[in-house]
Amino acid sequence: MIQENMVLTNELGLHARPASALTKIALKYKSNVTLQGNGKTVDAKSIIMVMTMGVKGGCPLVVIADGPDELECMAAIQDLVENKFYEE
Amino acid sequence: MVGIVVISHSGKVAEGVKAMADQMADKSVRIIACGGIENGELGTDAIKIMEALIRADSGDGVVVLVDLGSAVLSTYTALELLDEKERRLIKIADAPLVEGAVCAAVQASAGFSVDEVAAAAESARSMLKL
Repeated sequence: MIQENMVLTNELGLHARPASALTKIALKYKSNVTLQGNGKTVDAKSIIMVMTMGVKGGCPLVVIADGPDELECMAAIQDLVENKFYEE
Repeated sequence: MVGIVVISHSGKVAEGVKAMADQMADKSVRIIACGGIENGELGTDAIKIMEALIRADSGDGVVVLVDLGSAVLSTYTALELLDEKERRLIKIADAPLVEGAVCAAVQASAGFSVDEVAAAAESARSMLKL
């Protein structure tokens, strides 16, 4: 199991499109992926849960990946977050 | 890739839900809006639904999202109009329309099966908003 503490540097945070981008990445991997932010803990593979977290831009997000491909999965999520979800 | 059909009594509702789901989905996911009856009145039309089901299917099946009561009945009628092979991979999701469509769109984008896409839509049923 690995954990990374990130900060959302995009303006809008985990609103619809960024949330769907993150969930689509999580769905590609076998590992379980959990997100913690805004006082909530959710399954990253559920788009509805990720959107409901309401994590805003500039806020911290903890990502926990657990499974056979956790390293690759974490790297892909980190790339997405660091690049502002490729939206800005 | 699994396709999605959004069925509502209102054409505007179906189009609006499709727009929201499209925003979350990859472009390769076919999302078809199917709402209203002739003259723009409220209702559901089995023939129109049948055509939407055919358009949405790229070979991997279709998940159907419906709004109220008779939308389900019209969908059953539409399924009866298709042959056995065509309707084998069509599944009605027992899910809320907007949330279900968004969940299905994301799950379909990731290349999951009809059953898995329908299950993702149905997971939205137990989701609390507050």
